[in-house]
Amino acid sequence: MRHVGGAHRGLDMWLLQRASALYMAGFLVAFLVLLLAAGPMGYETWRGLFAPMYMKVGGLLFVTALLVHAWIGLREIFIDYVHCLVLRLGLYLAFGILYLGCLAWSVDILWSVK
Amino acid sequence: MKFRIYRYDPELGSAPRMQDYELDFDAKGKKVLDALIAIKDTLDESLSFRRSCREGVCGSDGVNVNGSNVLACITDLEGLKEPITIRPLPRLGVIRDLIVDMAQFYQHYKAVKPYLINLDPEPENERLQSPEDRAELDGLWECILCGCCTTSCPSFWWNPDKFLGPAALLQGYRFIADSRDQATDERLDFLEDPYRLFRCHGIMNCVEVCPKGLNPTEAIGKIKSLLVKRAL
Repeated sequence: MRHVGGAHRGLDMWLLQRASALYMAGFLVAFLVLLLAAGPMGYETWRGLFAPMYMKVGGLLFVTALLVHAWIGLREIFIDYVHCLVLRLGLYLAFGILYLGCLAWSVDILWSVK
Repeated sequence: MKFRIYRYDPELGSAPRMQDYELDFDAKGKKVLDALIAIKDTLDESLSFRRSCREGVCGSDGVNVNGSNVLACITDLEGLKEPITIRPLPRLGVIRDLIVDMAQFYQHYKAVKPYLINLDPEPENERLQSPEDRAELDGLWECILCGCCTTSCPSFWWNPDKFLGPAALLQGYRFIADSRDQATDERLDFLEDPYRLFRCHGIMNCVEVCPKGLNPTEAIGKIKSLLVKRAL
């Protein structure tokens, strides 16, 4: 019996998209609670929120989850609509670089808060 | 009653067009297929469409009526906005008028090996199943392969040659879910693919149009769950 299997890809992306969504939802709820607990909002309070290490790490994970989620979403859109392989690879690369850049920038922003 | 029907005859060499018909017809209790047959009988014998059982069992008269994929034989004429626009099922090649080329659809169906694979020696009478195991197949075996779901799915429109589509995936799961089948792993291997299975983004057009009230999105979700279970 001839059997041609699938590419064995797709499941990891599908799971990662769900996992990143869960993390983002959880982080946003936690962030909202911290925000409300912080009292009247001003520039200093807002800065103070991002001072602790757990907030920097949690925030960076949030940005990572957001970018992973967005990249997987874009990948789905490219697979659906961009059928020219060269163009599709170019778009993967362009957005991959853009998103990695965003990630690096987020590290700089988060760790600039003393 | 006013109708606008898609017409295309490749032998004439002209482009597809919409043709208007006005039919003196009492819609009460009648179905879209009754109107199509009446138009063919009284107004235009060149109008072509498929139909067989005329009671929603054979699945041959899937058409797009006022933008939704339906079986003409079980869709009430009453309540439809006029002119009632009838087109062939979307994204499949048109052979003539409302008759579409189902080859791609059947190819995907064939690809999921829609038959029991069990290499044990055949028992004397039949392969038994517990009532619970049999109940797993409810909502799966009823599919009549009319193509309404697959042709309403944008993922199929964008990648008709690679994405199996809701009908084939529902049938794929029908055999994965069968306690008598021994090829679950091979079936999952085949389906684990960015195109074949993971083009489904769960928008549920298939569920909305299925004339048998089935839920291909749920079946696809169950395939994904089995893949996750197998991987972790």
